[in-house]
Amino acid sequence: MTIVLDARDLERRHALEGSEVTALRGVSLQVEEGEYVAIVGPSGSGKSTLLTLLGGLDLPSSGSVAILGASLSALPDRALTRLRLERIGFVFQRFHLLPVLTARENVELPMAEMGVAPDARRARAAELLAYVGLADRSGHRPTQLSGGEMQRVAIARALANRPAILLADEPTGELDAATGREILALFRRLHADGTTLVVVTHDERVTSEASRVVRMLDGRIVD
Amino acid sequence: MMTWRWAIRDLLRHPTRSALSLLGVAVAAALLLDMVMLSGGIERSFGELLRSRGYQLRISPLGTLPFDTEATLGDVTALTVALRRDPAVREVAPVLGSTMQGAHGAIAASLVTYGVTPTSQGIYTLESGRDLTATDTVGILLSVPAATRLGAAVGDTVSLRGRLDPQMANAGAERRVLVRGIVRFLYDAREQPSVAVALAAAQRLGGPDLTDRASVLMVRIDEASDLTAVTARLRAAHADVAVNSIDDLVAQFRLRLTYFRQLSLILGSISLVVTVLLVGTLLAITVNERSGEIATLRAIGVARMNIARQVLVQGLLLSVLGGAAGMVLGLGTARWLDAILTSFPGLPAAISFFVAEPAPLAIAAATLLLTGVLAGLPSAWRAASTPIAAALRSDAP
Ligand SMILES: Nc1ncnc2c1ncn2[C@@H]1O[C@H](COP(=O)(O)OP(=O)(O)OP(=O)(O)O)[C@@H](O)[C@H]1O
Ligand SMILES: [Mg+2]
Repeated sequence: MTIVLDARDLERRHALEGSEVTALRGVSLQVEEGEYVAIVGPSGSGKSTLLTLLGGLDLPSSGSVAILGASLSALPDRALTRLRLERIGFVFQRFHLLPVLTARENVELPMAEMGVAPDARRARAAELLAYVGLADRSGHRPTQLSGGEMQRVAIARALANRPAILLADEPTGELDAATGREILALFRRLHADGTTLVVVTHDERVTSEASRVVRMLDGRIVD
Repeated sequence: MMTWRWAIRDLLRHPTRSALSLLGVAVAAALLLDMVMLSGGIERSFGELLRSRGYQLRISPLGTLPFDTEATLGDVTALTVALRRDPAVREVAPVLGSTMQGAHGAIAASLVTYGVTPTSQGIYTLESGRDLTATDTVGILLSVPAATRLGAAVGDTVSLRGRLDPQMANAGAERRVLVRGIVRFLYDAREQPSVAVALAAAQRLGGPDLTDRASVLMVRIDEASDLTAVTARLRAAHADVAVNSIDDLVAQFRLRLTYFRQLSLILGSISLVVTVLLVGTLLAITVNERSGEIATLRAIGVARMNIARQVLVQGLLLSVLGGAAGMVLGLGTARWLDAILTSFPGLPAAISFFVAEPAPLAIAAATLLLTGVLAGLPSAWRAASTPIAAALRSDAP
């Protein structure tokens, strides 16, 4: 199997007014193609920190992350940004859609950045919105959508450039139980379609669906 | 993608704030436009006015500019003959300016009187009636304000009396003249009551002091000859008078306007500074507010360059919209100010203080747009270097 993501001995320290907070203390994790990994653990255990390092949003104090063999810390910013664009999809707890753009435009955004022609990206955005069940909401702005709908638009946006891996940080955290279930059903479908997923969650339902559960405590992975 | 559309929608997000900033930029742009029009405009329109009747040279008493003082040139007949002897000189038109008392029936008015050679003069154009002829010593031409003030029309008889000399017991000579026509004097101030009579008549009315004298000689030279060379030649031949080409006069005028130009330069620069502050402040606020959005864009793979461009385009948009509004505002205020300034006494009403010339206007517009972009640079830089993870973490829902 191909190793999509290979993290080794990750440490992340934050300097805080003289003292130092260590968010991660030596975490190693490999994710294979098609895996559905759930990361769980108490609040403050370093789950989000790990996810930002895996996605190249932040760099570790020590250790390394490689995505499809490319070491993130060796890349200049331009290349790292490009790698996020092409290889990684992000889904956030608070959706983080662009409020001045419509649902369709939000989904088109990563494709536009890739240089996809307008017609092609419009077609793919429509396809993706249909996939997440929002075909009829493409012209709506985020403020006109419910939380669950916004999260589905965000998932469509994350899938736009056919990423090698989808990283989600508490994707159901802001949603009620029923809406959360819809999102999880969508993830299940993505997993079945072959998408590689890493999902940070407090949601016990995720752990039962994931192909592997990684537990964290105090900046470490505990098994 | 959609950079412009995005920038517009972003402005519309806070309509009041954007409108106020745009208004500020518009006012600054209007000021810049007016200052640009002001600094070059008056010189150009002055030059055009001087050139309008085709006399390229002015000869006035040494050390003076035409009609600048009451000083006059003597032995005008001899001087005119001498000037005509130069092969390049086509025409010499002496003008004597003085103040006289006019009366029409019971109405009296103080009049600026020009003594001219009717067949060669460059100071008025006929509006109605007919011009004086070479031999007409009893005709007079009135400006509209003079006609209005005297209540006189073509065909009426008016009397003209030279200025009373307080040292002399007797009143000045008086002459009855016939109104031949109504004219427009090119160099008159607004509402200036002026009249023109034959040079000889004006000299006689002025008394012994003005015999064979004139305030200025307007000289037309052959189009084909070298103006600079002719000016130099005449200057050498007539060292006792001031020989000025129109360019010389414009240069003199420019010197007098130095403060004016400096002022407009300073005000124009201030307007640019105001633009920088307005656009810079608005963009700084916007980038601050949008740090979560910017971090999101960076997270999903939008390049730093594109983030920076987005901010710069927003600055450009502000200055384009503000500049367009400022153009309208500036042209309006220029017209209004021009009306005020040209009604100052002593200034030719035909002069324009504000002249819209394409090149300076284009430079002003380009400067404004560049300013808008430059004002965005710090914010663009800050936006492009947003720390992604930290900004996402601190972004409120
Ligand atoms: N930028 C930062 N500066 C200082 N401390 C930080 C920073 N980011 C994270 N930390 C600290 O690192 C630790 C791990 O934080 P992290 O957000 O990764 O936890 P988490 O497991 O995602 O928690 P939660 O479930 O509440 O989201 C916490 O103690 C947090 O306070
Ligand atoms: Mg977290």
